[in-house]
Amino acid sequence: MNNPFENTALEETRRYFLGRGAGVSLGAMAFSLLENLRRATAEPKQNLGLPDLPHNPPRTKNVIFLTQSGGPSQIELFDHKPNLMKWAGKELPDSIRGGQRLTTMTANQKQLIMPSRTKFQRYGESGATLGEWLPYHGEIADELCFIKSMVTDEINHAPAMTKFLTGHQLPGRPSIGAWSSYGLGSENQNLPDYLVLISKMKRPSDQPLYDHYWGSGFLPSQYQGVKLRNAKEPVLYLRDPNGMPRSVRRGMLNGISELNQMRLKQTGDPEIETRIRQYEMAWRMQSSIPELNDLSDEPESTFELYGPDSRRPGSYAANCVQARRLIERGVRFVQLFHPDWDHHSRLSSWCIARCRDTDQASAALVKDLKQRGLLDETLVIWGGEFGRGVAGQGKWDSPEGGRDHHPRCFTTWLAGGGVKAGLTYGATDEFSYNVAENPVHVRDLHATVLHLLGIDHERFTYRHQGLDFKLTGVEPSRIIKEILT
Amino acid sequence: MTDLSRLIFVLLCALTGNVVCAADKINFSHEILPILSDRCFHCHGPDPTHREADLRLDLVEAATENRDGTFAIAPGKPELSEVLARITSSDSDLLMPPADSHRKPLTKKQIATIRQWIAEGAQWGKHWSFEPPVKVALHGQEANLNPIDALVQRKLTEARLTFSEPASRRTLIRRLSFDLTGLPPSVEDVEAFVNDNSPDADLKLVNRLLKSKHYGERMAMWWLDLARYSDTDGFQQDSTRTNWPWRDWVIQSFNENKPFDQFTIEQFAGDLLPDATDEQKLATCFHRNHMTNGEGGRDPEESRVDYVIDRVNTTGTVWLGLTLGCCQCHSHKFDPISQTDYYSLYAFFNSIDEDGKAGNRAKPYLKYQSPLAERAVLESQQVVDQRKPLEAAALQQAKQEFEPWLMEQMQRVENGFTAWHLPELRSVKSVEGTVLTAEKTGVIQASGPTPRQDDYRLVAATALPRITGLRLEVFPHESHTGGKLSRGDSGEFILTDVKLQVRREGSSQLKDIDFVSAIADVEKDVKGRNYGKIKDTLDDDPRNGWTTETHDAQQKHVAVFELAEPLQLEESEELIFVMLHRSTEGDANIGRFRVMLTDQPGPAVRSLEPMPLEVLAAANLKEPEKLEPKLKQRLLDQFLVDHDLYQQRKTELDQAQAQLAQVKKGAGELNVMVLAERQEPRQTFVLERGVWDKHGKQVTRSVPAAVLPLPAEQTKDRLDLAEWLVSRQNPLTARVVVNHLWQISFGTGLVRTPGDFGLQGELPTHPAVLDWLAVELMEHDWDLQHILRLIVTSRTYQQQSSLTAELLERDPENRLLARGARFRLPSWMIRDAALQASGLLNPALGGPPVMPYQPPGVWTEMFMGRFRYEPSQGAAQYRRSLYAFWRRSSAPTFLFDSAQRRVCEVQPRRTNTPLQALTLLNDQSMLESSRELARTAIQQKRTTEERLDFIAQHILSRTLKQQESEVLKQEQQQSFTFYQRNQDEALKLISSGQPPVVNKVSPDELAAYMVVASMVFNLDEAITHE
Repeated sequence: MNNPFENTALEETRRYFLGRGAGVSLGAMAFSLLENLRRATAEPKQNLGLPDLPHNPPRTKNVIFLTQSGGPSQIELFDHKPNLMKWAGKELPDSIRGGQRLTTMTANQKQLIMPSRTKFQRYGESGATLGEWLPYHGEIADELCFIKSMVTDEINHAPAMTKFLTGHQLPGRPSIGAWSSYGLGSENQNLPDYLVLISKMKRPSDQPLYDHYWGSGFLPSQYQGVKLRNAKEPVLYLRDPNGMPRSVRRGMLNGISELNQMRLKQTGDPEIETRIRQYEMAWRMQSSIPELNDLSDEPESTFELYGPDSRRPGSYAANCVQARRLIERGVRFVQLFHPDWDHHSRLSSWCIARCRDTDQASAALVKDLKQRGLLDETLVIWGGEFGRGVAGQGKWDSPEGGRDHHPRCFTTWLAGGGVKAGLTYGATDEFSYNVAENPVHVRDLHATVLHLLGIDHERFTYRHQGLDFKLTGVEPSRIIKEILT
Repeated sequence: MTDLSRLIFVLLCALTGNVVCAADKINFSHEILPILSDRCFHCHGPDPTHREADLRLDLVEAATENRDGTFAIAPGKPELSEVLARITSSDSDLLMPPADSHRKPLTKKQIATIRQWIAEGAQWGKHWSFEPPVKVALHGQEANLNPIDALVQRKLTEARLTFSEPASRRTLIRRLSFDLTGLPPSVEDVEAFVNDNSPDADLKLVNRLLKSKHYGERMAMWWLDLARYSDTDGFQQDSTRTNWPWRDWVIQSFNENKPFDQFTIEQFAGDLLPDATDEQKLATCFHRNHMTNGEGGRDPEESRVDYVIDRVNTTGTVWLGLTLGCCQCHSHKFDPISQTDYYSLYAFFNSIDEDGKAGNRAKPYLKYQSPLAERAVLESQQVVDQRKPLEAAALQQAKQEFEPWLMEQMQRVENGFTAWHLPELRSVKSVEGTVLTAEKTGVIQASGPTPRQDDYRLVAATALPRITGLRLEVFPHESHTGGKLSRGDSGEFILTDVKLQVRREGSSQLKDIDFVSAIADVEKDVKGRNYGKIKDTLDDDPRNGWTTETHDAQQKHVAVFELAEPLQLEESEELIFVMLHRSTEGDANIGRFRVMLTDQPGPAVRSLEPMPLEVLAAANLKEPEKLEPKLKQRLLDQFLVDHDLYQQRKTELDQAQAQLAQVKKGAGELNVMVLAERQEPRQTFVLERGVWDKHGKQVTRSVPAAVLPLPAEQTKDRLDLAEWLVSRQNPLTARVVVNHLWQISFGTGLVRTPGDFGLQGELPTHPAVLDWLAVELMEHDWDLQHILRLIVTSRTYQQQSSLTAELLERDPENRLLARGARFRLPSWMIRDAALQASGLLNPALGGPPVMPYQPPGVWTEMFMGRFRYEPSQGAAQYRRSLYAFWRRSSAPTFLFDSAQRRVCEVQPRRTNTPLQALTLLNDQSMLESSRELARTAIQQKRTTEERLDFIAQHILSRTLKQQESEVLKQEQQQSFTFYQRNQDEALKLISSGQPPVVNKVSPDELAAYMVVASMVFNLDEAITHE
């Protein structure tokens, strides 16, 4: 049995040999080369990840990344600033703005402060504050670790999301899920290591979800995230054509395999052996994947927990149920995307709509994982590519008011595997504009997530075009030790 | 030495690319520099910002200078060389590289090499690729050989290996055809070649292939990938651009065998050439193929800087084989390129008359009309012409069926006709607390609490055979504010969204049903995103919706919603209709309303007029002749909506007509993005840490001196830059280019990092071959075909590719070239080969992009409906993959492992995954090719064996062996048995794809052979360069 996205074992050998893989030295090569070659030709292996991993004892096995695309407003949802009321309608002091650039959408308007459109409430023993649009989050407040001091460098969606997920603002680097899959491999023999679920929405979103967000960049393409579509064909090309029953398909695959075996004997190319196995894996995926999209075997209580929208296949809530099921099946990295958090106008009706899509199900997922004893080994991450500015966009005091992008601070929460529950880490100034204490750059979050998976981000490199690339890039980054259990 | 250790030794020498083995003098650039670069230069190299101890090891003067009596390197005196002491130190504080650098310590062998080098006098040199290439002398016998073979032979002899046997003639013609044209040979070509015993048969074949117009297409695919060519901008808007005439310019240039220096000069500076032609200006589109970002809120200057950077990086990768991108933020850590060098190159591209915008504002443009579009128009016109009579015939048939239907309807409506039906309400509830009460008339009244916002949820069943539309009536009521329409402050309502779902009894799952249009009697007239229009209730956006404010609020209002497709409910299924009142300020929930359903199709639910059958009923006619023509037409229109055959033919015609309109646009004058200098040149600054608005010191145009210095008067503009790139003295360009040509023929380059010839790149496996070819290229006026001809007529190239266990073990990556190259074909070649083998291929050259089949919904999902992919109709469907429309954010789905065309990519991807298997098994192009090849096999051959051989010959260029034939025969028979018993399935299998051609083959037989053809298309051999 082998992993679906495995390259040839020979390719693995190549990787060792070129010294590309993390920590594999050219020095040890001669013997390991011969050894690996023997293994390559004799007994193909599944994707077990890299041989020198983990670097440190892993604190979590799996990751569920609840990506909120568009930039949710920390000011309405998490970052309670009661004193802002007295600044309402006043201009943001230059000392606070500190030369922060604006997008061209608001660069030419006065930066007039718009206090939060929501009331806040304290929840749980931890006393975390949450805006009134996230009532269900209140129920799990003691499970969550809020990082209120997230920082990024990017001010526009595509570069910011690209950085949030790949560490660099330009497309072309592997996403964090691809890095995980490359480093750690998978436990499931019939499913990809890294699956992506996107909420099906009616509203045309202004921010497309590019596939480089879950791409493998310069890593071999078997590590890229596989998008599980909510369509007749959950994975592209998975469905056999109309008029081809499974029996005929099976017969074909038997024949292909037999003929490929003959070719293998003639040419001696081990790549053929891999191909034979990949065709078999394709066959298995044709049954293992469609059943993922079928939630009908879940008990009624699941849908009650995740909310009415979870009955609607393709919704964020249904995808949360899916995420738990995938983790149960041994998928390493599950990434959800919920679009349309880009609330430049009519924030109070628009943002609340996205909260209604996601609040109950996000909370339910954490509760559900906990009930099932999976939360200890699963890291849940909730967040978007940046935050939103304190100044109103449009008229600050009209219902039409919204907020522009803001990179200098935003809130992300983590829960589960190896992270302190009921903690709020980092703080912003009284305008939720600058980080006042314990800044956490996107890079630091990446370093921390890798650390929780047992990977030292400094040593986890891949050689591409002559350079050793790592997820956290060349700028210094740190593991946020303070939030770890 | 034991056998094993000797083997390892040989491997080490061979595989690390060492030219010289132990007995010889150490070669600095191949043996020492890579070690220094990898382990030392990060802190002791060209980049001053990370430099430690003020020590540079990349320069001889610095490394050997007297530093207060100590020497980092003391030539001839290993014992005095601090470097040696530090790399061998047992004190972990002193040991280099330091542990916290995460750089590996040096191996014993590396240390020994450095010691020997120092002992031999520490002879310095440049990195190999910065030294000018020279042809090594060929001795005696060698002079009669193809120099490639002579030089490869030398290394083989050192490694005690020999060339493999030559590949078979069949394999060779396949290999040559794929490499030089990207297509398999025809069956006739194979037979002719196999039977051609003339001594120059190979050369004749190669020359014929090089003259083929498909040669230009094959080479263009190489060039388009590294040129990051795309038909859209990328990023958020991902607007379509019309730069495809440049793609055709590339094909044309290769087909003319334009010398590579001229090819380069035109792409960099065609606009600056004296009396520049339109084609020369068109060539400069190369440097406009980068992504452009039109995202709202983005500073165009930031984007413009990105574009300039992209040009510099692409130039670095494609021509120089250097990772210049590193120098955007800091001086290169390994290669002798400084940040100043980088921005001096940047300066050449910094004064383009552009302003960082995207979409249709991405000037400068060349107005250009393509001579290659006319063919596409004719082709599309043909499809329309073919489909028109089919549509007309279907209409005729439908009209005949209409008359009896009309009679039937007239009888049916004699006693009146009810268009709208009350559903059987099962529950009526609100989410936030409004009390909803259904009256006998089906009218629902709100009472009780008045939450600011609320959703109403109706669950209902219906006896209607189908549902095509839904009508919502909103009534005034005395209990409402001012007797108006709601209980809110103003008495007005705002309905933000509606949703329709289906649930099966007892199931936990809901199914969304889409509405496609909505119409209302009145709506508030508003601009932009606001509350007014009824259609805004369909977009699930609470910031807009329907209100009748400004109209009479004491009167009933009505809206009709049309379903995207007629809905047939099963008995156990029920409907859920949700009305959302989620406006920003709220307090506008509908007070009194009724929902009704209809089964009347098409136009009937797109208007509020009485439906045709209602009018018919009211007219109360006995004779159809008396029917008013206008009403008759409405009835016919409605009848046609439900006429499946007519609808199918009409859709096919509509698609053809849409395509025709589209290609006609392409045949007109197009805006092609090109280079043009602005009047006033921009000043160029070093950008600190690469940040677009952090200006450092000012720089002027110049070229990196480490590569090849030029005086300032020769670096004035892009033309100078281009001439520098292809200068006879430039040590890099020719090497990089011949390496690409090698990669085209062998799957990997002689330098296996084609984008990095710098210190961190791999060393060439055969430096002498690389240099020989590079010099040869320059000496032969940059004639690419000359080099390709040399390569593919070499013995090295023509070896068989099969592996022995010994070869696999000794040289798994084929770095010694003791055998031919065996690798999976690029996915675009696999598709093209299938089209060619099946006879479907449309071999036309150039023209507007086409849309090969891809699974439905891919674009729609990504852009939430903003873009739709409509597969090309008619002959346009079967064009080569090169012409496939390339949406940057969603590359053609059938092209796995392809370059992404976002930034320049030169390293081929070659993975082997189950998703690729699924693509080749299920892609429509592969299926249709299987079917067409099967059809021809059946029509042209009689026995099963002959037919199977026919299929194999077309796909594999050979007949089947007995054993193989048995396997396929068995599958053919089993499938045939199945399809004989299941004719419906056979019809389904063979009927996908383009509208039917006349089928003279029985479906079960066709299906069975189609299965077999698909198997052969999926064989490893079929998709592999052998």
